[in-house]
Order: sequence, then C-alpha cells, then structure tokens
Amino acid sequence: DRGSVLSTSAGNLRTFVGCAVREFTFLAKKPGCRGLRITTDACWGRCQTWEKPILEPPYIEAHHRVCTYNETKQVTVKLPNCGPGVDAFYTYPVAVRCDCGACDTATTECESV
Amino acid sequence: QETAIPGCHLHPFNVTVRSDRHGTCQGSHVAQACVGHCESSAFPSRYSVLVASSYRHNITSVSQCCTISGLKKVKVWLHCVGDRRGELEIFTAKACQCDMCRLSRY
Repeated sequence: DRGSVLSTSAGNLRTFVGCAVREFTFLAKKPGCRGLRITTDACWGRCQTWEKPILEPPYIEAHHRVCTYNETKQVTVKLPNCGPGVDAFYTYPVAVRCDCGACDTATTECESV
Repeated sequence: QETAIPGCHLHPFNVTVRSDRHGTCQGSHVAQACVGHCESSAFPSRYSVLVASSYRHNITSVSQCCTISGLKKVKVWLHCVGDRRGELEIFTAKACQCDMCRLSRY
C-alpha cells in the first residue's frame, strides 16, 4: 500500500485496506479574506489496529495506528479579496507520502469520529 | 494485507498463565482479541485549529481504531506441581468495534 495513490475512479474505496494519498478538497479561509477552494493531496485509508486483554494493568494492550502524513511539502497560496493590512498568504501541507503511524500530537490535531 | 477485510473482528490468540512467579501452577487458553482495519484520514487543519494550536497542528487526523467493546471472564484450568489442579479467571474479548483510538504511544 505504501506510496499508492487513490483516485475516486480507481479501486473500490469500500474494500480498500492500507493507507494512501487521496485527493481532498477544502476551503482555505481566514478572517479578513474571501475563502479559496483548494484541491490537494491528503491521506486516507484503513490501518491494521488491535486490542487484546492482558493479565496486568491496564489490562488491555492497544496497537493503534492511523493513516497520516509521512512526508509533506508546504504550499502557500494568496487568498482573494483581503482587507487592508490583512496577510493574504495561506500555507497548508500537501501529502507526498502517507503511512500508518501513531497520531503525533505535536504536529497533528488528533480527533476521533 | 491484500486479502484483509475492512472492519474490526474477534481474533483468537494463545495465552499462558501462571499462578505465581515460580510457576507452581500453569495453564493455557485460547482467548479472543480484536483485530481489524478501521477508517482514518488526515488533511490540512482548519484556520481555527491552526490559531488554537499556535500554528503547530497544521494536520488534522480523524480516525477510528479497532477496540474491545465487550469483555467477559473465562476460567483457565491450571496444572500444578504434584498433580494438583487450580483455576484462574482471565478476560477475553466478547465484542469488537471501530471506535476511538488511544493516543498513548507504545
């Protein structure tokens, strides 16, 4: 699965197992500017995770890995129609490579569904 | 990995238990764990997340992981030194589901 790229037409997302670069569209927006719709590369997939009961505390051992950015590059765009004195530049990460790994709370907002 | 099926399912594994450090009594049992492939994604964070994290969290990960949603106790029969027998209760997974990931590192 490493280094693979998913497109909406290729492969069956319902049964895909692994972690891959996938197209993602979002609205880059900040106060004082108009939003800009951006399509970029992000990460999506299904990583193998498990939990098993163990005899000692905490009684459950977990191996939880998530599909996240392994290698990124930064891209900066200029947002349209910004007010006077507003910094018009918006920087976002682009996924070069995605992989199953621990959610790094130093660089990542780790959320659950 | 190629033949894996998405979802989170019961998976048997062998567990060996001892009654004490010396292993006076010992037994083994096939217990259940939860193993599987749950959905996760990572994408550029919203501006509000960037500001709230002092521009450190430029990636947002929204994920689910395979978790144990129900446990039950089972008895394991132990064979002891000198032909004695004993028993010990251990936990085994009863049900699994894709749910919140644990953030702690291992």
